Amino acid sequence: MAAPVPRRRRRPRLATPALLGLPLGWLVVFLLVPVAIVALYSVDVLSLFPGPHSFALGGWYRLFHQGYMSLFWKSAKMSLIVSALVVATAYPLAYFLALSGTRRKYVLLLLLIAPFLTSYLLRVLAWKVILGDQGVINSFLSSVGLHPLSFLLYSRFAVMIVLGYVWLPFVALPIFVTLDTLDRRLLEAASDLYASRLQAFVRVTLPLSMPGVVAAFLFVFIPTVGEFVTPSLVGGTSGYMYGNQIVDLFQQGFPDWETGATLALFLIAVISVLTFVFVRFLRLGEARVA
Amino acid sequence: MDVALSRNGRRIMRVFFGIVLVFLYAPIAILLVFSFNNADIPAFPLSGFTLRWYHAFLHNGDLQAALETSAIVATITSIIAVALGILASIGISRSRFRGRGAATTLLLVPLVIPLVVLGLSLFLLFHVLGVQLSILTIAVGHVVIVIPYTILVLLPRLEQIDRALGEAAYDLGAGPLTTFRRVTLPLILPAVVSALLIAFTTSFDEYAVASFLAGTRQTFPIYLYSALRFPTQLPQVIAVAVVVLCASLVVIVAAELWRRRAEARLEAPA
Repeated sequence: MAAPVPRRRRRPRLATPALLGLPLGWLVVFLLVPVAIVALYSVDVLSLFPGPHSFALGGWYRLFHQGYMSLFWKSAKMSLIVSALVVATAYPLAYFLALSGTRRKYVLLLLLIAPFLTSYLLRVLAWKVILGDQGVINSFLSSVGLHPLSFLLYSRFAVMIVLGYVWLPFVALPIFVTLDTLDRRLLEAASDLYASRLQAFVRVTLPLSMPGVVAAFLFVFIPTVGEFVTPSLVGGTSGYMYGNQIVDLFQQGFPDWETGATLALFLIAVISVLTFVFVRFLRLGEARVA
Repeated sequence: MDVALSRNGRRIMRVFFGIVLVFLYAPIAILLVFSFNNADIPAFPLSGFTLRWYHAFLHNGDLQAALETSAIVATITSIIAVALGILASIGISRSRFRGRGAATTLLLVPLVIPLVVLGLSLFLLFHVLGVQLSILTIAVGHVVIVIPYTILVLLPRLEQIDRALGEAAYDLGAGPLTTFRRVTLPLILPAVVSALLIAFTTSFDEYAVASFLAGTRQTFPIYLYSALRFPTQLPQVIAVAVVVLCASLVVIVAAELWRRRAEARLEAPA
């Protein structure tokens, strides 16, 4: 037996894992269990309609055979375009703020982000006023004797411009953070080794800021691919998205919860895969740097 | 030589930044202009100055009820979410155990759950359990959305605080609760206020989840959404929009400035 150690006062335990019990419990009951219930609805074990039900894959069959997939691709394409454009716009802004040594960069950053902190619906409303048939652009066009443009509101274009407008301020943030923490000595070293600014950017800055770029991209893509509020307000029929379909399957006159639940579960699956790949990519990047 | 931008590059960037700011703020400015425009339809040319839309909003009972409902939901949400966020952040930052990574992941998962999916899955949960939809069911959903935000605000602050302070309090005979109340809480107070504000504004503005979980009482976004479909109410809605937009901008900027100052004061040696 080991020699008795003089008894010390127990190490202060100011916190225990038990503190996590309540928050984790909240998320288990109000997030994991509900998603499990969605899964049960999607295979018809639970159903809107009374009577005995057993496991069935009808919802999943319909997902792949009734045009829902093409709607999903359409939505995915729209959000891909929006995310790419928004990231491409935000990158130079973040670069300018983080690396040009501007004084007041945090004030400018706050100015850029502030619109994101205001009401989402109100920003959509602003675009309805701008793009409408009698809206700002069209009434201006007709007042100077030009033909009004009918495709402005209730179109895919309208959905994409509004989504881009709504998410642009938010995207600058993750890119700014990676560029701001970038070691400037690396750039100086590149310049000492006769790299031009362009070479330094392509070979040093851009690769090092990729985690921020990918994060920014996902931060836009994930919420927009399941979006239904903006398309239902400015999209009309041609701007109808996958998220609208899910809502309609639950709230329209002829509800089909089984198919709706399947669509929702498919969306979660796609997003989980994307998030997982992104996290792996981050870990790999960290390992390479370290 | 500046390694990041040439002089011309800097000039171009400054112009580009200005253009983007115009793009971001012009729609808000247009709302502001039309809220004072004396016409039933927001269109050019402008037809004179009026305050009647602001006046109408003051006498619109439905609208005020909706604002009140949202304020209640947002208050409940922010109190519960910040309490849970404090517990979670202390649990993550002050203890080491197996499964800590998994726990942290679960706490952040709501960030990547599409709101439609969250709304409908909670709707199904309450349907299965036979729970009547009400203000409380909306708040439950909003707490789920907001928990990760509160943690992302609180955790960095907790990690900054010198752990020895808590241990010193303990050595002087303070229990865990007293230590929290007298040492930890005052030090993280600026972050707690930020978290409360973020939770409140997020909940106040949230439509997607609320649309699935609302009972008979409309929240402000739900009212706004239905009003957006009836053009006759548009100018009045624009007037409210302007009031809400300005109020939230002022609160957010003021809170951020206050937090910076408060944290700087806490850092400074007494």
